[in-house]
Amino acid sequence: MSYKCSRCKRDVELDEYGGVRCPYCGHRVLLKERAPTIKEVDVE
Amino acid sequence: MVADFEVEFIERDDRNARFLVRGASPAFANGIRRAMIADVPTFSIDTVRFVENSSVMFDEMIGLRLGLVPLTTPLDDFEVGETVTLALDVEGPGTAYSGDIETSDDLVEPADDNIPIIELKEQQRIELEADAVLDTGREHAKHQGGVAVGYRHLQRVEVVGDAGEFDEGEPNILRGVIETEDGELVATDEFDHDLAERYPGKELAVHDVPGAFVFHVETDGSFSVEELVTRAAESIGARAAELETKVAV
Amino acid sequence: MMIPVRCFTCGKVIGEHWEEYQARLDDGEDPAEVLDDLGVTRHCCRRMFVSHKDLVDVVSPYQ
Repeated sequence: MSYKCSRCKRDVELDEYGGVRCPYCGHRVLLKERAPTIKEVDVE
Repeated sequence: MVADFEVEFIERDDRNARFLVRGASPAFANGIRRAMIADVPTFSIDTVRFVENSSVMFDEMIGLRLGLVPLTTPLDDFEVGETVTLALDVEGPGTAYSGDIETSDDLVEPADDNIPIIELKEQQRIELEADAVLDTGREHAKHQGGVAVGYRHLQRVEVVGDAGEFDEGEPNILRGVIETEDGELVATDEFDHDLAERYPGKELAVHDVPGAFVFHVETDGSFSVEELVTRAAESIGARAAELETKVAV
Repeated sequence: MMIPVRCFTCGKVIGEHWEEYQARLDDGEDPAEVLDDLGVTRHCCRRMFVSHKDLVDVVSPYQ
């Protein structure tokens, strides 16, 4: 799961022990990045 | 056998036309109208594959906008169900226009180049690939070639006398196309849709002319008005022919 | 958010006229005259212009 810290803009990998917190700056607001896969949308 | 149709154009443009058909029954006029809306196929984007979309709108919203962009449709070269691949790749700052859409087949391209798809800010980018499919308006309204297709009766205006001396000069609003007493066809927008303007101080009688219909046909740019009308007529003809062969068996 | 591509009611393509409409309104022209000039004559299509507000600039800071 890849997130991005909203303060220092660095990529953050979360594990189950560290809790929701940026390991570089300690900021608690993380943004989820868009998946790198191609998304197919049906236009209806 | 019914009498031949008499067709006369009042307004004629590539995308917009008004024409009078004499000798048609109301059922046939409506059949043509419905065929123009539901039976003449056009290309429209149906599936979109988003590689990147960092714009302010969701993938689905952009997909819906792309689906509504009219694409030129050469009906002689394609069958219903065939697809053409299109692509869009624009980086901000700037606006992605329908004209930025690239096509794999030059016959199928956006009919209008200046439709804004999405405005992109600094560092925003949109990259996508789309499949346009040829289908009919019956399947989805985005495949309709005709826009605001309709008809009215031709109306005959006769002067029956002079208006009373003390009558109020009230407007007499009429829309469509009128036939004057000398058989001249006049679109009502020429006199601001007000008969009192064309015939001041006269008493008038207005009747529908039986079997005469004034069609107003506008296309979204997929093809010309002529193409739309002839294809609609062909589709009715094809269905009648199908019925004929099936009944004969 | 962005001007709709087509008129909701009749399906006429209206998106292509939006930028010219905006530019000419900024020059102080009368909206009704601009719409007549652009060939947008039906009132269903005209309301698309009159009632529209671009919101991209409003939401873009919150990306």
